[in-house]
Amino acid sequence: MADKKIWVIAEIRKGNLTRSTSQLFGAAYKIADQKNLDVVGVLMGGEKSHAESLAQKASLVLWINDPGLETYEATRYFHAIWQLIESKGKPVVILASASSSGLELMPRLAIRCETGYASFCVDIWWEGSELVARRPIYGGRAYEELALIKEPALFTIRSGAFSIPGNLPNSGKVETITLTFSDDLGLKLIERKSTTSSKQELSEAECVVAGGRGLGSPENFKLLEELAQELDAAVGSSRAVVDSGWRSHDEQVGKSGKTISPDLYIAFGISGVIHHILGMNTSKVIVAINKDPEAPIFRNSDYGLVGDALEVIPVLTKELRSRR
Amino acid sequence: MKLKIAVLVKQVPDHEAMVQVKSEQELEIEDRYVCSFFDEIAVEAALNIEKNHPDAELFALSAGGKRSIDALRRAIAMGIDQVVHLGDESLEASDSNYTAQVLVARLRILQPDLVICGKQAGDDDYAAVGPMVAELLDIPHISGAVSLDTNPDLNMVNVGCEREGEIWYLESGFPLLISAEKGLAEPHVPVVTRVMKAMKANIQNIPLNELELHGNKPQGRIHRIRYVEPPSRPEVIMMQKPFPENISELVNYLQEKGILS
Ligand SMILES: Cc1cc2nc3c(=O)[nH]c(=O)nc-3n(C[C@H](O)[C@H](O)[C@H](O)COP(=O)(O)OP(=O)(O)OC[C@H]3O[C@@H](n4cnc5c(N)ncnc54)[C@H](O)[C@@H]3O)c2cc1C
Repeated sequence: MADKKIWVIAEIRKGNLTRSTSQLFGAAYKIADQKNLDVVGVLMGGEKSHAESLAQKASLVLWINDPGLETYEATRYFHAIWQLIESKGKPVVILASASSSGLELMPRLAIRCETGYASFCVDIWWEGSELVARRPIYGGRAYEELALIKEPALFTIRSGAFSIPGNLPNSGKVETITLTFSDDLGLKLIERKSTTSSKQELSEAECVVAGGRGLGSPENFKLLEELAQELDAAVGSSRAVVDSGWRSHDEQVGKSGKTISPDLYIAFGISGVIHHILGMNTSKVIVAINKDPEAPIFRNSDYGLVGDALEVIPVLTKELRSRR
Repeated sequence: MKLKIAVLVKQVPDHEAMVQVKSEQELEIEDRYVCSFFDEIAVEAALNIEKNHPDAELFALSAGGKRSIDALRRAIAMGIDQVVHLGDESLEASDSNYTAQVLVARLRILQPDLVICGKQAGDDDYAAVGPMVAELLDIPHISGAVSLDTNPDLNMVNVGCEREGEIWYLESGFPLLISAEKGLAEPHVPVVTRVMKAMKANIQNIPLNELELHGNKPQGRIHRIRYVEPPSRPEVIMMQKPFPENISELVNYLQEKGILS
């Protein structure tokens, strides 16, 4: 086993390893192979089965088996990772998803490790001995490429940026680790409330069907939910729809909502002003349905269809069903 | 308990401002700058606390070049009287560690109970300075706050924050740092008299050499190698057939593309 390591921080949501976690291994192997680094999975909390499924992807899994880590909680995760670094030594690279927890954890860790951190990365590679990350800035109107000078280099990776690697030769070991936490870490989780109606969660979904004010009423989102079910997609929405109280904010796509990169994004009755585009323009394929042929959304789409969303959605759902 | 609240703000290009890559080393940015979207929410959240606890003391801080002064003027216009501008133009190219160090150098002196910043800045979209400031101050932080209930008498705060598909409610004592998500507060349009006051205000600057920076350098941990153009999307393909044939036309395209099985 090489003594230089890349740590991949796994996340579990709704009882499963997230898709973004699997994508992190795409990033990890890309940089590991060039420099003969070992890829190590780090799992905080979760079940043995999660650790074992991670071990399919990594040469080693460090499983911090602590009931206190069952639900992600920033300070606890942070203390866990820090203790792990102190006992195992610093890896060369630490990768996490640009999820709410990754974004909370990694900047703090960068300070504690006195090292560099790049967020929302869409690609990473070596340039000589330096690790370079590409990340969108100004809402994707430009990209920057940053060199991280110190070890460990910390990155959060944008969901959808890397593909899940197939056929990994690994069947790694699982090392179970117990840590001690102080009881009072400052924050206490009191309550959790679910905010989504769809089964799929927006930033994780491979396909997103989004509705705008063009859907006419909150009730009409039912049509979209049916289509979402057919496509195993998550439902997204424009800000106008969220501001009108039709849908909850965590479905909002755009500058003041979520930034997502699914494989397929279908926008129904969304005008497509820049604020919305900034949240979805890195999707692989974008489809727009709008009754106005001049709608700006078409300028940022791969495929466009001029028509009434309320007519189109049910027919599309039926068409997809018939082709299954 | 008399709450001391510090709000961190930054001036950034408007969402609609044109931003173009001029060369690997230079961006061309249209001269339309505003106080960052989430930072205005942070300011409003602080003002909301002040409404319930009138003896709260509010500060706004901005680290950066001359433009930061405009973000502070916005904070004054919205209702925060005590503002400080930290550093100079050299901060415009600094990494987030350095920015956090500069802010913390001042925050250590102010010793706020609550620090509120935006979830991420509208220019580099980094989402890092807040948590970094918290770590440097060695206080807990909560990112993406959508609700905030303070109870200074009990020395407690309850913060709702957005997680994937959920809202979590966390309880904390002070000091604490939170970063503001949309929904935490609704920024109001400042009244004319406050705007006038903000325009006339003399804004204090603290130069970098008067701040305790512990040898940190502007690009000590990260340096930008280059800017690159965003990937461009090919010309849109419009469906040509009439409804409802255009639906199968579309599905055919998506299947050909391998995006639908
Ligand atoms: C600081 C700031 C931040 C913002 N952040 C965001 C953000 O994060 N996300 C976001 O989405 N917006 C954001 N906006 C808001 C944005 O400017 C728009 O107001 C919003 O995106 C418009 O939503 P919409 O397209 O659903 O509605 P509208 O602008 O009302 O457009 C409706 C569209 O539907 C079409 N239509 C109408 N009826 C039908 C029909 N029957 N079938 C098909 N098409 C139909 C119309 O032709 C039109 O194009 C932000 C704005 C600001 C100032």
